[in-house]
Order: sequence, then C-alpha cells, then structure tokens
Amino acid sequence: MGGVEDEEPASKRMKLSSEELRRLSNGSTIKETVAGSPGDLMARPLQSEGGEEVVGSKGVIKKVEFVRIIAKALYSLGYIKSGAHLEEESGIPLHSSVVNVFMRQILEGNWDESVITLRNIGLTDEKTIKSASFLILEQKFLEFLDEEKVMDALKTLRTEIAPLSVNNSRVRELSSYIVSPSYHSSVRSPKQDTLRARSRSKLLEELQKLLPPTVMIPEGRLEHLVEQALVLQRDACIFHNSLDKEMSLYSDHQCGRDQIPSQALQILQAHTDEVWFLKFSHNGKYLASSSNDQSAIIWEVYETGVSLKHKLSGHQKPLSSVSWSPDDHQLLTCGSEEVIRRWDVSSGECLHVYEKTGFGMVSCGWSPDGKWIFSGLNDKSICMWELDGKELECWKGQRSLKISDMEITGDGKQIISICRETAILLLDREAKVERFIEEDQPITSFSLSRDSRFLLVNLLNQEIHLWNIEGDLKLVSKYRGHKRSRFIIRSCFGGLDEAFIASGSEDSLVYIWHRGTGELIESLPGHSGAVNCVSWNPANPHMLASASDDRTIRIWGLSNLSKSTKQKGPQSNGIHYCNGGS
Amino acid sequence: MDVDPRLYELIAVNDNDIHNIVMSYLVHNCFKETVESFISCTGMKQPSDRLEDMETRKRIYQFALEGNALKAIELTEQLAANLLEKNKDLHFDLLSLYFVEQVCSRKCTEALEFAQMKLTPFGKEQKYVEKLEDFMALLAYEEPEKSPMFHLLSLEYRQHVADSLNRAILAHANHPTYTAMERLIQQTTVVRHCLNQERGKDGPHPFSLKDFLKS
Repeated sequence: MGGVEDEEPASKRMKLSSEELRRLSNGSTIKETVAGSPGDLMARPLQSEGGEEVVGSKGVIKKVEFVRIIAKALYSLGYIKSGAHLEEESGIPLHSSVVNVFMRQILEGNWDESVITLRNIGLTDEKTIKSASFLILEQKFLEFLDEEKVMDALKTLRTEIAPLSVNNSRVRELSSYIVSPSYHSSVRSPKQDTLRARSRSKLLEELQKLLPPTVMIPEGRLEHLVEQALVLQRDACIFHNSLDKEMSLYSDHQCGRDQIPSQALQILQAHTDEVWFLKFSHNGKYLASSSNDQSAIIWEVYETGVSLKHKLSGHQKPLSSVSWSPDDHQLLTCGSEEVIRRWDVSSGECLHVYEKTGFGMVSCGWSPDGKWIFSGLNDKSICMWELDGKELECWKGQRSLKISDMEITGDGKQIISICRETAILLLDREAKVERFIEEDQPITSFSLSRDSRFLLVNLLNQEIHLWNIEGDLKLVSKYRGHKRSRFIIRSCFGGLDEAFIASGSEDSLVYIWHRGTGELIESLPGHSGAVNCVSWNPANPHMLASASDDRTIRIWGLSNLSKSTKQKGPQSNGIHYCNGGS
Repeated sequence: MDVDPRLYELIAVNDNDIHNIVMSYLVHNCFKETVESFISCTGMKQPSDRLEDMETRKRIYQFALEGNALKAIELTEQLAANLLEKNKDLHFDLLSLYFVEQVCSRKCTEALEFAQMKLTPFGKEQKYVEKLEDFMALLAYEEPEKSPMFHLLSLEYRQHVADSLNRAILAHANHPTYTAMERLIQQTTVVRHCLNQERGKDGPHPFSLKDFLKS
C-alpha cells in the first residue's frame, strides 16, 4: 500500500538480525513489514495467542519453526543455494551464527575452538556441555590415533578428556586403544578398515542429538513429521487391504471399498451336508473344509479359482474341525467325539489314526515344529502325541469343554482352550502357569491371530471380543452386528496385516469389520443358510472363504475381478440347493 | 554358649610344638636374626638350609614391597629359574608393579612403551584382558591417585603381590607356603563358623582373635 514500503521490501528483510528475530517473535514488528508486502505469495501469517506468528488454518504451527525445518530439509536434499536463499528471504536463519561457527569448526576439525564456542551457545545444562565436550575431545583423540600421533592422543586423554569426569568406562576403553593400536595393522594397511575415528559429519549428527532441538534442528525432522501423518492416515483407512496402494502426499489416503472381498466368485458344492468348518493352509495354496457328511475336502487354490483335490473319507462321525501342519504337507481332521486322522495332502492318503479307547476327541492341533499333535478329549483333558502315535503328555482336569476349540501359540509355549463356560485357559506348558480370560457371557469359539498376540473370542450374546494375550490379558475391541443364537459361529482375522475381522452369522450373511476402528464395513449376502465358519486366505488378502449350512462354500473376492472376467454371476459347479442370490 | 574353659586344661601342649610354630612363623617372614637368637635361647636344632634362602627371600620381598619389581624379578629368576614362567599370574602382577611405579613417577612414555612390550602380550588370554585394561586406564589420569583405579597404587596391593611371590618361592622349594600360626587361626575360625551354622544360636560364637586374646 504505501509507496515507500513497496520499493524496498527486499532490503528490509535482509536487515533482520537475530535480535530482530526476537522482536519478530513477540509480534511487534510484523505488522509493519508484512502489511504492505506486494504479491503476497507467502502463507498469510496469523497471530497466535502467544503472540508468535503462526501458519496453517488451526494456528498451531509456529512460522519460525516451520521455516527452519523447511530450510533444514532443503539442505538435507542438497539444495544448498535454495536453503541459503530461504534463510535470507525469510530473515529466519536456520541456526544462530554461533551455531554456524560451531558446526564449521567441527567439520574443519578445530577442536579446541569448538569446545570454547560450545560454551557460548547458551546451553544451560552443564551435563550436556560436558557430554558434548567429551564427544568432541574423543574425536580429537581418535583422529590423533589414526594419524599415529600417540603421545598427542595420550596428552589429550590425560589433560582434556579425563578431567571432565564423565563416562569413565569410555575413558578406560580409550586408554586401551593407546596401548594396542598395533593389533589391527598387521595384514592390512592401517588406514583401511581400522580407522578408529568416525567421520566428522557423523560427529556432528551425534552432537545434534545431544543438544536441544531448538539449538540445532534434528536431522530429517520434516520427513519425520510427514511420515507420521502418512502412518496416521493409513491406520485410519478402514478399507486398506492392498500393498500396492501407494500413499501420496497430494491427498489424504483413503482406500475405497473395492479393496475388500465382496463378490462371491465361486460356489463350491461337493459336500452333501452342512459344512461346519474350513481353513486355508498357511501358504494360501489350499483350503480344507469339513462337514456333517463325515468327510473333509482338500481344495486347491489356483489363479483361476478353487477346485477339488481330494475328498477324505473314513470318519464315522461328523467332522468338527481340521488343522493344517505348519508346512502344509499334512492335515489333521477331527471327528466329533471320535478319532483324529492325519492325512497326506498331495496323495490324500490317511497316514495315521489317533484314538484313545473309551474317549472321544473334540479338537486337534499341530505343534509349531510339526513334530507332535495335541487334542482335547471329551473327558475335558488335553493330550499330546508324537506323530507315530506315541502319547507324550496328558493334562487332566478341567482343561477343556466337550465341544471346544484348541490352539497353540507360535512359539509352542502356550496351549489355549475353553475350560469353563465363560473362561478361556492359556496354559504355559513349560512354566506350568495358567492364565484365564474371563468373560461375562458363555464363549462359543475363538481364533488366534497369526502373530499369536491376539485372540478373537465369540460370545453367546452375539459379540466378538478381541483380547491382547501378550503380557497382561487385555480386552481391546468389541465387534457387533452379526447374528448368533443357536449354533457355533466362527470368526477369523484376515486381510493385509490382519487388519480385518470376518465372521459367519446365522442370518446367512458374512460380516467384515475393520479391526482397528471396530466399524462394520461389509455384510455379504449369498448363502441360504447359517454361515458357520469363515477363513481369510493368508497369502491373498483379497480372498475369503465361507462355509454354510446350505452345504456350500463360497469364495469371495474383489468385485472388480468378477467384472473383468466377464462373468455375469458367480461360477458354480453344480446344482444350487437354494437360490443363491447375487 | 561357649566352650567351657575347664576343658582346655585337659589338653596338654608340648613345648616343642610351640617352638616349631614360632619358628615356622619367623622363617616364613625371613626374620633371620630373631631365628638365630630364638635357636640359642631354646636350644632347638638349626634348620641350616633355611637360613640362606631366608636372606634371599627377604631381599626379594623388600624390593617387591618398594615397587622395585625389576630387581625382584631378577633375583627371583636367579633363585628359582622357571618360577615366573609357571606362575603367569604372579609374573603379570610383578610387571604391573613396575608399570605402576612408572605411572606414579609421571613417566608416561616409558610406562606406555613398557606396557606395549611386556604387558600387552598377556592380553591374548581372556583372563588378563580386564586386569590389563584396569592398569592401562591409569594412563588416562594426570593424578592416578584420584582415578577410579587408585587401589592399584596402594601399599596393600604391593604387599599382596610380595606375599604371593614369597609363597610361590617357598612352594617352589617344597617348603610350606603358610605358617603354622596362620593355619591354626584359620582352622579355628572355620570350625567355629561351621558349628555356628549347624547349631544356630545354641552353637559357639564365630571366632574372634581379638576377643580370644583378651579373655
């Protein structure tokens, strides 16, 4: 506005010195210099309550700090001229002149002067000053040693470093360096691998960490703040299910619903009765399902879809569950209060039958090293066998219920089972310690996360509870929405980094929640009977399988996919038992 | 509950035994003149061979106590050729005495060179590494008396090394390495301690020489 100001904005800015900076920060001079500035390309500065200039719509970013970290980032990127220009144009120096002198002295190796300058920087903590001096003098010492000036090094140690009385154990180490520098220089040249002193810029970085951040801006500060924001965005993204969804700085990250499996790509009909259980193998290449029809089926997962590999018959009772060996070469199947059978996946052959006369098994599982198996019996005990059938151990007493799940943690240390109506037992095999998850409601089933740190518990009252089982047992989240009143419904972890929870339901829908926020993101129709069990492919976050009383298994995938394969509806391999819907 | 003093009366102590105990103490500590006068007073037999070695041991002990380790080492080598080779710990301790003397006289260069030549070879064995570092750390301080390792400069340390050397020399010549007196006191203390442990407060109190001498 004013003519005079218009003509000389640049020179006005150059005049700002560190004293004027101080004045700037309490706001008095600002209105004069900025009010008339032409071509206002800069962020419009506001006044915060504290009197310092701020930028951004929320008034929490201090302008001086903002400009300084930008300048630091420019220098880190190698844009020295831009950085210097920014300092000049904004009038906000990255470092005070004392600090600039200090940094130069360090890089040039003027150790004694730098120690003096250190005292002038204006640090108040004597301890920091001593620690920083120690680092500088240590560098001086080590560089002397590298140049083989042993007596100079010794003098530095005795007269400058030791009197600081900090870090005595390091002083000890340095003494031993003086005595035996020759250990390493035998074969190789002394300069090569054996330089004791690190580079001077590394020293500067170490000093940066020691000094308060207002004195020397920490390395990579701007990058760190941006990464923080990106991580927060990613965690808040409830549909985040694909690795290749890159994050961009241009707009807030938000995946679309299209990343979650929501389209039934295939309907598998090979069981002749209700399908109660299913599970993908660890490598995601196979799927095993078990049914009321007393058989289990191994399906193979291909690029183009899932197809039947083997039908495993032999049990005389409905099959309650299956369990994959850690290497996915073998499968255990458990008959309801019957026997356990071990099968070879590639041949479909039954390799062994585990039974205990007079008792029936209700659940089964593998040890993480694949060398033994364990099972819950209908007398509420838990038994362990070697693969050849030799019984290893047996815990009697109320360890499990008649119909119950059983898991073992990835380290092989804890066995988890439902031991009472409302409690889950976590038994540490070695330490013989028992921990309990107590619920108010009867528990119907549970499932263990891949990293063995969390347990998903299904309750009678139609809630699913997520517990942290590492260290102290803690309830983390609750998920609601599905229906369960009469049967056992199972849920599972799944998706990228197991960020989702999926569950079956008695209303024939498959439910999917975002694990972190607890938000229900999908309820998928399609089955015509209660959905008993779901399993998410561990190798493919876009594939989900569900097992239902309608005798079918549905394979769910991304809805784009089915559009691209030009199929009108889901592929099926036979007669539908009832109207599948879309 | 202490032992009834009347029980002591029942044990007869032979004069000769007492003389031997005193003699062993005197010989061990190289009190040559006292040994000679003791012999003439009691009419004991003279342990001829021991007199010579006493003189030598005394000199070695003195040198070690003063910190003149090189002289002590020289004499020891003359007296018992392989002794130091077989007792590496002792050898290290003696060399370190010399090192400490140099450090105390502020002769840093000499100390450093000596350490590099004589002490660092020990560092190849793990058990000497920490000891070596302890000594090297002394170099870092202009006033080693004020350093964390000041105990290495003390008279107690030199005494300890001198004692060890003395015992090693005696062992080398197949003489007893401990005086009878020491052994007796040690024995009483240990026995009393065991009884005390076993019987708790009913048992005898731990042995205190001071109290014993007063009673």
